[in-house]
Amino acid sequence: MAILEVKNLRKHFGGNEVLKGVDFSLEKGNVLSIIGSSGGGKTTLLRCLNFLEKADEGDIFVNGECVYHAEAGMKKPVVSPKAQRSMGLVFQQFNLFPQYSVMDNLMLAPKLQAKRLPADARESAQEILARAEALLARVGLSEKANAYPCELSGGQCQRVAIARALMLQPEILCFDEPTSALDPELTGEVLRVIRSLKNSERTMIIVTHEMEFARNVSDKVIFMADGVIEEMGTPEEIFDHPKSEKTAAFLSHRAF
Amino acid sequence: MNFSQINLLLLSGFGKTCSLFFLTLIFALPLGLVVMFGLICPFKPLRWLTRTVVWIIRGTPLMLQLFVVFYVPGMLFHTNLFVGTSGRFQAALVAFVINYSCYFAEIYRGGVESIPRGQYEAAQVLGLSRVETFFRVVLMQVVKRILAPMSNEVITLVKDTSLARVIAVAEIFYINEVRILSKAIIWPLFYIGVFFLLFVGALTLLFNYAEKKLSYYKL
Repeated sequence: MAILEVKNLRKHFGGNEVLKGVDFSLEKGNVLSIIGSSGGGKTTLLRCLNFLEKADEGDIFVNGECVYHAEAGMKKPVVSPKAQRSMGLVFQQFNLFPQYSVMDNLMLAPKLQAKRLPADARESAQEILARAEALLARVGLSEKANAYPCELSGGQCQRVAIARALMLQPEILCFDEPTSALDPELTGEVLRVIRSLKNSERTMIIVTHEMEFARNVSDKVIFMADGVIEEMGTPEEIFDHPKSEKTAAFLSHRAF
Repeated sequence: MNFSQINLLLLSGFGKTCSLFFLTLIFALPLGLVVMFGLICPFKPLRWLTRTVVWIIRGTPLMLQLFVVFYVPGMLFHTNLFVGTSGRFQAALVAFVINYSCYFAEIYRGGVESIPRGQYEAAQVLGLSRVETFFRVVLMQVVKRILAPMSNEVITLVKDTSLARVIAVAEIFYINEVRILSKAIIWPLFYIGVFFLLFVGALTLLFNYAEKKLSYYKL
């Protein structure tokens, strides 16, 4: 069964229709890259999947369960309480909390989440700390645990943001152009971390302009243009044998 | 009247000035937050009502507001809401709290609205509730941003307390005028100036200290 299923997702801002009916599904443990020119709807799609934008129409299923449903004429979409927890998002601009140390950035949300559970079911502060330390080690920033975001480079900030998103163990981890705000020499370290996260348990969706990376790391690639999925397939299909003219044109403008 | 007698009088007036100052802060700082929530409330009627109140309070002299608070309830309801010396003080306090809440609310609003949207979005995707987002993520950043304008406003409040004399609250200027200046003793005026300078100096140091304390991170 697909871990994520998106059906007929539509979104418009004013008169501008940004998503014109998007359908796709994703298997557990797969990495999906979404590519396409700016203004094609990639980021809006990702924001709808994370409920930062409310799609006007469409359904989102996680593990077969409908977590989001909207249709024309509905006043408010139906969002299940599980919806937000099943998704994680890493932003282009990191959006770390500047007043907290790296460690506190990681632990804030899990600690607040634990508080909402009954005492016997909640994760203890030590367990949260242990997980945070393990994740920081994983992204190679153990020595920065007590640093503040303003003391880190962009690449380090983004690695912290990745660890922070992983703390909540989302079903699907999304990346919104995770390297677009970084200097070229810092891009590599972030991409290496994302690549290292790939395993059979972790499902990821990456909106990216790094074609080489998308080709190497993805199981599935979506090319979006004008608010629709123009083409979808394996990296080989999309990059080596694009069927759509738009895809071919887009890729030919990119140097590999 | 000798030097020590004058000193005692002035100190008693200055005590009143200080209690008016501190009590105004204690009530107006949190009340400003409430007014701010009204100013940014998505429910339009409440937002417009709050904006109108803020417009009236900021648009009329504090002196007028002191008169209104002190005299109008009695004129309307024929009961003395504020009786005697302590009543005068209470009336002044009410007027100051209302006035300063509105100014604080606008400063808070500026601070809250200057927080980048990304901070709210990050909090949302991390599953924080709106209340948690405000108190755990936004508030500390707002405090850092508004420290400078707040220090301005608080320093202004120190000196605005002297307006309470118009309803005969026995703060330092009233005492000086009624008990000392009336005997043609001029020098305490300069003495009062020094009081205010020292008080504001201490506040300035306090705000500088707070700014330094919060400089461990950048926004």
